[in-house]
Amino acid sequence: MFKLFEREALSVEEFSKEQTSVDVRHLCVSLNAKKVLNDISIRIPKNKITALIGQSGCGKTTLLNSFNRMNEFISTHEISGEVWIDNRNIYDKRERVSRLRSQIGMVFQRPNPFPMSIYDNVSFGLRIQGEKRRRFLDDSVEKALRNAALWDEVRDRLFESALTLSGGQQQRLMIARALALEPKVLLLDEPTSALDPLTTLYIEELMVALKQQCTLIIVTHNMQQAARVSDYAAFIHKGELIEYSDSDSLFTMPNKQQTEDYITGRYG
Amino acid sequence: MISKFSLLTNKSVRGDYAQQFKQSLLEVLAMLACATILIVLVGIFAFIGVQGGRYFMPMSAYQITTVHTLSHAQDVQGTGTSVSDRSVQKEQIQYTLSHLSAAELASSLQQKLLIQYTAQTQEMPKIRVSAADSLYQINTTSGQTLVGKFVSLQEGSKVSQSLANLVVLQSEVARLQQNLSDIQIQRLQSLHRAISELDNKQVARDTPLYQTTLAEFMLWQAYANNIIEQIGSYKINIRLDSGELLSLAINKVQDIYQPNQLSSWQSIGYILNKIVVFISDSPKQASTSGGVFPAIFGTLLMVIIMAIIVTPFGALAAIYLHEYAPDNRLTTTIRICVSNMAAVPSVVYGVFGLGFFVYVLGGSIDSLLYSDKLPSPTFGAPGLLWASLTMGILTLPVVIVATQEGLNRVPSNLRSGAIALGATKYETIVKVVLPMASPGILTGVILAIARAAGEVAPLILVGAVKFAPTLPIDGEFPFVHLERQFMHLGVFIYDGAFHNQTESQVSSLMFASCMLLLLVVLLLNLSAILLRNKLRNKYERL
Repeated sequence: MFKLFEREALSVEEFSKEQTSVDVRHLCVSLNAKKVLNDISIRIPKNKITALIGQSGCGKTTLLNSFNRMNEFISTHEISGEVWIDNRNIYDKRERVSRLRSQIGMVFQRPNPFPMSIYDNVSFGLRIQGEKRRRFLDDSVEKALRNAALWDEVRDRLFESALTLSGGQQQRLMIARALALEPKVLLLDEPTSALDPLTTLYIEELMVALKQQCTLIIVTHNMQQAARVSDYAAFIHKGELIEYSDSDSLFTMPNKQQTEDYITGRYG
Repeated sequence: MISKFSLLTNKSVRGDYAQQFKQSLLEVLAMLACATILIVLVGIFAFIGVQGGRYFMPMSAYQITTVHTLSHAQDVQGTGTSVSDRSVQKEQIQYTLSHLSAAELASSLQQKLLIQYTAQTQEMPKIRVSAADSLYQINTTSGQTLVGKFVSLQEGSKVSQSLANLVVLQSEVARLQQNLSDIQIQRLQSLHRAISELDNKQVARDTPLYQTTLAEFMLWQAYANNIIEQIGSYKINIRLDSGELLSLAINKVQDIYQPNQLSSWQSIGYILNKIVVFISDSPKQASTSGGVFPAIFGTLLMVIIMAIIVTPFGALAAIYLHEYAPDNRLTTTIRICVSNMAAVPSVVYGVFGLGFFVYVLGGSIDSLLYSDKLPSPTFGAPGLLWASLTMGILTLPVVIVATQEGLNRVPSNLRSGAIALGATKYETIVKVVLPMASPGILTGVILAIARAAGEVAPLILVGAVKFAPTLPIDGEFPFVHLERQFMHLGVFIYDGAFHNQTESQVSSLMFASCMLLLLVVLLLNLSAILLRNKLRNKYERL
């Protein structure tokens, strides 16, 4: 077999401890007494975009939610296994969940701005952390909005309601809201599924730019998107991790038949 | 062939028609129902408005002449003297004030007589009603309304036949009254205090100090009495319809005028004056005249205290039930119970308030804190606080249910958004959920206020009375007297409707109070709705 492109990506088995951002070890999750994830082990690299793909209900959102323990908020749950972020197991008893969530940003499928001004939306997380210094807040808001490529559009109306923004702007505002806390990991749950193609492209560019600052984990149903933006991709089926490798190989020459079937659209 | 075809089309047309009829039947029925509701609503407002508004209109004075025809066999009005003539006519004159026209008044009186005389063999008297333009209407300071012919003004022994002097006499009386109050405040009060101090020190009555003080007191007292007598000597004499001459002290006269000769400006003045009196004065003459200020005040105060109590309680209970309570059978049961609490008859709450708040709670407060005043109760009697608490319990389910609905309307993705940003559950609720649910909470409070303002049955049991001599807030320490009984518009109307049915004037006062109650409730609702809409605009544009 000859190589078309020189592959710069490391193989998923070769991450060193420093290069790993999220280390999932034998994670099993049951929601409402139904087994959703079964013995998932996956190491997600730092400052890369990792895509989680799979059909609806396969458990990829649950996996995403288990990185900031949102599953506990949503429903009755049962979790075993470990998720290591920053050399600590976030499922440890001593872990403070709200602090953990403030360190791991999350963007949802549909933009969910609070009914407040743009400024208040972006500074919400910081204010929750008890930050009161006006100057610091101003700077953080501006920085977050710049990082989310929204600053130029909203700089003149920071104190207008966030609900006046368009859908794409709102989604970028959500990214800015998460970025304001300077998270190490940014979780994106189908962030563009409710947006038009052009806005989607915008968000994708933004994601690539954000790689410098944090690890991005994205759940998506859009194969092209996953292939376009992600460095690594994991295919999950019925709660099992079927295949996990760098995106180039996963999308061009998958190892498993199931993966190939899925990405070529034969089922799912 | 043709006939068959036509039959077919005919049939299908008929089917169409039936279909169309079915379609439009529902629409027409729905429209009719809606129209009926509209008519009923407009009818209620128009009826109450007209009946209540009439109270403020000036009345006309009429002279009613009743002519009794007595046959010879009958006694004349029980005097015992038999009359031998074939028939004798006896006239009886009555002065009256009415909003009706002369003809209407005559027919209504005729109606009454008809009912009265159907069972009797006596001949029915004839009635003549004529406008009596020369009559004067006098409203006294105690709220009485007198109608009669002006006879004279009296100033001691001086008698004048003209009414023009009245203004002069009134100012004279006012001056004398000023004098009197000066004496009472500046002299008599201090002297009285001095004497009672001496009494307290047990100074003997024959000491010179006591004697001189007493003498001085007596002197001023005599002077004051003299002035009172002087004031009493200014009189106005009028002849009433019974022929009796009535002498009325001028300081008792609030206003005097000829009702049939008011100019349009005077009428407007009369109406405005009546409205002001109605809103700002207290009821007089056993709630047949005067105003309803204490009732407005009591209603508003009760509703405000109730809202202060019920809003946080209801909102907190709803937050627990909706946000914190585990989703199990007990919670469901509690939710169902809360919704059913709204259906409990209000009088049951009243009995509960009387039995628990007044007797148990108030009784124990009295025995703990006010034991020196027992057996006369302080909090152990119906009062404003207990009424507000009872109404609070009565309206609690309304607030809880409305708040729950408000909380339900907050999208769950906003909660998860806040949680994902590191907010705890408490922070999420306080900073995101509650502001968005505030229109729902306000809806509950609006409904609660409207219900409490219009409720009567429980209030009668726990503190609302038909006449309260004092307001619950006054200048006396501690200024807010929650233990006092209070007046309430609904109770006032109830009382008026049941106990004063005979007099048209009073039923008008009742209707006027009804109109006012409607206005008060509408005003409260309107302001709350405006506030709610403002909040909705702010928080619910999603």
